[in-house]
Amino acid sequence: MNPLTSKIIHGWASLGPKFLPFADAATPEMPLSRLLRLSLFQVSVGMAMVLLIGTLNRVMIVELAVPASLVAIMLSLPLVFAPFRALIGFRSDTHRSFLGWRRVPFMWQGTLIQFGGLAIMPFALLVLAGEGEALDAPRWIGLAGAGLAFLMVGAGLHTVQTVGLALATDLAPPEAQPKIVGLMYVMLLVGMIVSAVVFGALLSDFTPGKLIQVIQASAVVTLVLNVIALWKQEARNPARTAFHLPQPSFRESWGSFIEGDQALRRLMALGLGTAAFSMQDVLLEPYGGQILGLTVSATTTLTASLALGGLIGFSYASRVLSRGVDPFRMASFGVGFGVPGFALVILAAPLHMPLLFGLGVLLIGFGGGLFSHGTLTATMNLAPRDQVGLALGAWGAVQATAAGVAMALGGVIRDVVTGWAGPKGTGALLGYASVYVIEIALLLAALLVMMPLLRRRGATAQVV
Amino acid sequence: MSENSKVWPTGLTVGEAEELHRYLISGTRTFGFIAACAHFLAYTLTPWLK
Repeated sequence: MNPLTSKIIHGWASLGPKFLPFADAATPEMPLSRLLRLSLFQVSVGMAMVLLIGTLNRVMIVELAVPASLVAIMLSLPLVFAPFRALIGFRSDTHRSFLGWRRVPFMWQGTLIQFGGLAIMPFALLVLAGEGEALDAPRWIGLAGAGLAFLMVGAGLHTVQTVGLALATDLAPPEAQPKIVGLMYVMLLVGMIVSAVVFGALLSDFTPGKLIQVIQASAVVTLVLNVIALWKQEARNPARTAFHLPQPSFRESWGSFIEGDQALRRLMALGLGTAAFSMQDVLLEPYGGQILGLTVSATTTLTASLALGGLIGFSYASRVLSRGVDPFRMASFGVGFGVPGFALVILAAPLHMPLLFGLGVLLIGFGGGLFSHGTLTATMNLAPRDQVGLALGAWGAVQATAAGVAMALGGVIRDVVTGWAGPKGTGALLGYASVYVIEIALLLAALLVMMPLLRRRGATAQVV
Repeated sequence: MSENSKVWPTGLTVGEAEELHRYLISGTRTFGFIAACAHFLAYTLTPWLK
């Protein structure tokens, strides 16, 4: 064979794998660049979350004049899929495939569904609002279209996040998991902040055409980011996904998972703590404006200080947990910071000290960061190797459901208490304060549930 | 041709090739469904050729 031919053949053979979407082999060391790339799926998830909770919430009510109750129902539709995260994780654990992939097919399908939901969403919203020629169209078209769009985004979002976190757990050695959890949370926050700013700037002078451009652009960005994120991450392992392997039912698998290592108690603590840290989410800004008389720009910096507290919490927790501190101890520290945080927020009103309010919000953000980081790291550490998807699915199901329900309940409780106490004078304050008091109670309950998890660990550490 | 033999020109086995084909088909169906929904809603909003 002459040298040129051999060179061409060799080049051709090495060219092939470069363009294939799977990793060559499972390497023990995960380089940081690869982790960063994997965490891009969190940016797309954060973008979809901002779109649902922030941007569309406002656009539908203010610019499109859709009734607020209908908006609330539509925006809560993605929550329907949150409990199914455990099932999605289980299905990806036990996926049977000749190609030897367990995570990539699910992430790809989730991405496709999220893309589809975002692609039809702007038209559905405009039809729902009766823009253009849609005024004479039957009402069900807008309702069904918008419902379908939100359901698809929700299904895609929950699938991508569950399976993405499971893939990250598969790839990372246990001692690197705290760093990965920190990275995932920071990227989620970055995705949320950047897309909130970008959406706000692009939609500042609103036209229906702009809404279509912005939402469909976010659909394309989702597709691009997720494909970049999962490219060449999962190694093929056909032995693990062979068809002759026994296939446990979800019930069996869940049964063995929930029996192991106090799983139910951990999920309860997670649910209580998450509910406590998310109930005030939509109430902090109106509290600042209505009760403390802060300006709009001042209340917006509140959201920033909440995010800043979270960032500090994530980076601190990553550093400390990498040194082998018990993640549940970290989570209980977070709860410990949350209680005075909420107390400061309540006290700020009678003392007329907005600075106290800002400090409280910072503490809540910091405590919430430690708590989220600790519980997710514990979930990754303790996940049985053959049930990684199920464990992270259960974590995500509890976390997302608790956060969503608490956020909705927070608004309802404020309205009910304010209505009962009368809107004048202390009535409005009472409405907000009752939510914050409930949050403190939930935090204490979470701490109580977590206690045995801590003491048990301390005891085993002493024995060893 | 046995189940595990690699097939020219892709180097995949028959099972792998069929699985890849299934993803292709399901992806095409999903995209088709999304496109149909988007066209229907867009037509409701601004009918063309009318």
